[in-house]
Parts: sequence; structure tokens; C-alpha cells
Amino acid sequence: MSNKSDNLKEQEHIPTSKVQRATKFFKTGAKVGGNYVKHYAKKMVNPNLTKEDLHTSNAEDIYSSLSELKGSALKVAQMMSMDKNILPRAYQDKFMMAQYSAPPLSYPLVVRTFQKSLNTTPEALFDSFTKSAVNAASMGQVHQAEKNGKKYAVKIQYPGVAESVSSDLKMVRPFAYRLLNMNEKELDHYMEEVEERLLEETDYVLEVERSEEISQACSEIPDLDFPTYYPEWSSDRIITMDWIEGKHIKEWLLTDPSQEERNRIGQALWDFYNHQIHNLKKVHADPHPGNFIIQKNGKLGIIDFGCVKVIPEDFYHGYFSLIKSDLLIKEEELDKIFFDLGFISDKDTVDEQKYFKGAFRSMISLLGRPFHSETFDFADESYFMEIFEMGDKIGNDKMFKKSRQARGSRHGLYINRTYFGIYNLLHQLGANIITTKPEWLKI
Amino acid sequence: MKNQTLMENQEENKVELTDRRTEIVEAYVHYVLEHGREPVSVFKFVKGLGMKEEEFYEYLTSFASIKAAVWEKIIDDTIQVMESQDVYHEYSAREKMLSFYFTLVEELKKHRSYLLSMYEDHLSFKRNVPMELKGFKDRFKAFSADVILEGKENEEIADRSFISDRYEDALWLETLFILQFWLKDSSPGFEKTDVAIEKSVSLAFDLMGKSALDSFLDLAKFIYQSK
Repeated sequence: MSNKSDNLKEQEHIPTSKVQRATKFFKTGAKVGGNYVKHYAKKMVNPNLTKEDLHTSNAEDIYSSLSELKGSALKVAQMMSMDKNILPRAYQDKFMMAQYSAPPLSYPLVVRTFQKSLNTTPEALFDSFTKSAVNAASMGQVHQAEKNGKKYAVKIQYPGVAESVSSDLKMVRPFAYRLLNMNEKELDHYMEEVEERLLEETDYVLEVERSEEISQACSEIPDLDFPTYYPEWSSDRIITMDWIEGKHIKEWLLTDPSQEERNRIGQALWDFYNHQIHNLKKVHADPHPGNFIIQKNGKLGIIDFGCVKVIPEDFYHGYFSLIKSDLLIKEEELDKIFFDLGFISDKDTVDEQKYFKGAFRSMISLLGRPFHSETFDFADESYFMEIFEMGDKIGNDKMFKKSRQARGSRHGLYINRTYFGIYNLLHQLGANIITTKPEWLKI
Repeated sequence: MKNQTLMENQEENKVELTDRRTEIVEAYVHYVLEHGREPVSVFKFVKGLGMKEEEFYEYLTSFASIKAAVWEKIIDDTIQVMESQDVYHEYSAREKMLSFYFTLVEELKKHRSYLLSMYEDHLSFKRNVPMELKGFKDRFKAFSADVILEGKENEEIADRSFISDRYEDALWLETLFILQFWLKDSSPGFEKTDVAIEKSVSLAFDLMGKSALDSFLDLAKFIYQSK
């Protein structure tokens, strides 16, 4: 939140009407199709051409199209950019950029939003207020304000975002389908969950409530810091909170922190999520790098509680029982969990059941590996390559592609995303940490 | 001393005159709000006010002039509210235009019921501009001429021969578009109108600004001349 991108061209409009967005997507769709054609044409001449090259040109086209969109479309881009193991690297690098930059809205509209929802102007409320956005959030933009020598971050939502969530998601479908290698049924199954979260994210009143609730509940955890929220200066379109000064993880790493420091930050991150998932059963499900700021005093500042996933009790038990070491679970118990979580169903043949059980088992034991020991070294590149390869393998697996049904509970979507996000951040940090876990999960 | 009293008297007279005029305009708006239509005749209307018809004509000439007065008040208030914001004077031409429209829709909102009963069935503002918008239009043109001039000075707007004389007309068409859009807008808080304003102002200024087209025309002209 501290770095201002000067090269952002002020964008005075968002393509909001459905037709306009559709054309935007259509253009990209056509281009991506074109890239495939080009790729195979080139490949006939030069067989050495790798898939990575193709992904690079696709990612560029998709990114340049997505960066002109706002709201949910950008959100989906962010989501995709996080799942390193799902997305090929080239997509990922491009999408990472979307997490930091989206062109801002005009200042008169910011003033108007203030007048409409708080009945005042930014100048009247604060001593100073930046005319252009200092940072772009997916559903809005952030301005820096000052009052009595204290700095505040003021997030303002783009008009019309809430209304466009549903139509945006429909538009994103063909892309998600192609990029994530999912079949259509699977996608529908998850899209509902995504839509629900996105709609919640447009509810700023709820966000302030949850931010206060979770930061309160996590205030005891060492090395963490949360901004104070100001409900009296917030509304359905505006959120005012303390300005958190500091560096994003990537910038911080450039200052060459010691292994100890990196472990300390990593530990704080792990403990934060551990407490939310296992005790609060409510989790900040948006662990993308932009939401974490390392302050001068060495504390990890956490912002943006727009996306919070409430974990249902029965899902919680099934999901984490699987993470327990394999040996401790009986075969019948495992079957029941697989059924409950929707990994297998009555519609499957015996062979299919056996196949998917095997596949999910190895997947879960891989993802659950950090839980199986007292400490875990997230710097370990080979572990991430293993996850990456497994994602690739499943993505190209014939049995999965043929499968006529969605597999896995929809609640798993955001929990998986959260864990991928945390693993990713810890990997970036190269942190070796104590993987704290609740008593019942211990081996 | 004597002179001064005379001047004060004149001032007072003027205030009284405008007060009376405003009263009539307000009564008219009130009538439309209550009945959902215009009064049948000036005679009937002033009778309800307990006023003589000839007195009415001292201030206004017809219902059309009342309707014009409503529009003029809207734009006068808009400009006054807009200019009272300190930040307005720091705005670029593009931002001034945006600010104008955002303030305008806010002023319009105060009269929405009246405007709806008068113009909801009015099919197209562009093809058939209501007569009573003339005063509004004149004031808007004066405002937009200033903004355009400023835009030209700081090079936000390209000065093109022939075409740049028509910029004001283009902005007037945009205003009609926004008025119409707002009348039909049913989104909460008229959010869609806000987006329409951002988009259309952006388009207008992108078109008026220096673009690839200018370089293209410049080259074309050069090639034509050097033949």
C-alpha cells in the first residue's frame, strides 16, 4: 500500500455495460485462439517450441485485456494468479502484475461518492486527501488521507461493481474453463461459491464488521498488526482505516532480511491462519501478496478482509481429518469422508471410485505434508515442483477430463485457495516454521 | 445621502420582484407535483394563487417561461454549488466537466418527480429539444465555452480548424444524452448515470484531445501538398 505506481494512466471509465465487456472478452478469446493456431503453425516448422512460449503469448493478451477491466474480472485474474500449481508459470507472472495495478477512476467521481454516501467531501473530512489513487484494489481504489498529523487509507468502491458481478462471471467462464482445464459442470459447481464471495466483497459495511471482528480475535498473536477501522468514516462505498506504512513481501525481500527474520514473519503468518481456521472457523481467504505489509518495527500488517470464508463445521472435520497422517485413518472412515466431501459419489463405477480415491489421497497427503511434521521448510523448491507437477498431471488426466461430475466440496475452493496462498507466501519468504496445529490433528 | 436611499429602494424592489417570481414558479411546480400535469390555463392557475392574471404577466409571460425558469434555476444552482467547492478551481478541463455533470444530476434529483411528470414521455431530447431548455442551453454553452478554452490553453483539447468550433455543440448533445439517461435510470442511487457520465466525458475528451488521427491528417495533408 505504500508504493505508488506513477506510470498508471488515469482511466476515466470502466467498461461496465455488458456488451462492452463482452466485446473485450471476445477480443481476447479470439486472440488466444489465434495464439494457439500460431503456436501449432510454428511448431510444425520448429518442433522445439515449448508450451511455455505459447503460455507466454496467451498470458500477455489475456492480461492486457483483463487489466482494463475492474471488479470481479480483475478479481478472477488475481485468484488465478495465486494458484501457482494450477496455472502455468507464464500466466502466473503476468497475472501477478494485475495484483498491483489497475487504472484509477477520476477524482470528481471520488468526491461524488463521498457526497452521496457520507454527505461530505474528502476535503471537509480530512486535512489532506490525495487527488489520484495511491493504489488500486480489485473492487475499488485506495487514497491516502491525513487528519491531525495521522495518515489514513481510504478505500472507495467503483460504482456499478456490485451489479456487474454476475454478468462478469458469466463472461469469465470460457477463460476459466480453458485456463483451469476444468470441465463445465465442475466450473458451475464452483462459480456459485465464487459469486457468493464476490458479492460479499462488494458489501463494505460487512467488510468493516468482519475486519474489526477478526483483527480483535487475532490481536494476541505476536508479530501481527492490524489497522484500526473507522466505521463513522465508512459507508457502503467507503472504508477508512489506518494507513499501514511498510513494504510488500517482495520489496522487503530485496532488503535481504536474515533467515531468522524471514522465519519470524513466516511464523506470524502461519499462526494467523492457524488461529482463524481452527479456532474462529472464519478465514481471511485472500492471502495475495498485496494484503501483507511488513512494517519498520518488524511487525506484519494485515489488511483487506473483503473476502472471508466461513467454514462449516462438518466440512471442517472431514477436510482436516484427511490431512491427518494416512495411517491413522481407517478405510471405511476415509470412504465416508470422500463421499461427504463430494470427491466420489454413487454415480461412479467401482473402478472410478477406486481411481479417484487413489488420486485424491496422494494429492491430499502431498498438500498435507507440512502438517505431518513439527516444522516445515517452505524454502524447499522440490516440494513446490511436486505440487506443480501434480496440478499439471491432474489437469491433463483423462479420467478427470472424462468425469461427468464436479469433484470436491465447494467449500474446499476457498480453503484450498487460502492454503495455496499461504504456502506460496511462505515459499517466497523461504521460511522454516513450526507448523502449529490443533491438538486433534497432531500425530 | 438621498442618492443612497434611492438605490436601496431600488434594490428592495428588485428583491421583491424576484421573490414574487420565484413564488409563482414554485406554485407551478407544486401544481404539477400534485396533479401530475400542467394547469389548464394561466387564468385557472392564478385563480388558485389568489392573484390577478395581469399580475402574473408582470413577472412571467407563459407556462413555457415558468418551465424555462425551473431549468435555469437548476443550472444556476449547479454552477453555484460546483464553484463553491475549493477543489473545483484546481480541476483540469476534463475534471471540471465531470464535476459539472455530477453536480447537475444531484440538483436534478431535487426536482425528479416534477421532471418525470413533465418529461417521462418525451421520447428523444436530442431530436426534439424542449423549447424551455433554451435558457439552460445558453448558460451551459457559456460554461462549456470557458472549459473548452481552458482545455485548449493547457492542451487537453486540440485546436482543430472548423471542427473545434463545434465542440460546444457536441458537449450540448452529451448533456441531452445524460439528461435522458438520468430520467430513465432506475439503478440505486442513480449509479448507472454516474458511470454514464464518466464514460461519456471520457469519450468526449478523448475525441477532443490530440490523437493519432491528428497525426494522420497532418501526414495526409503534407503528402497531398507535396504532390
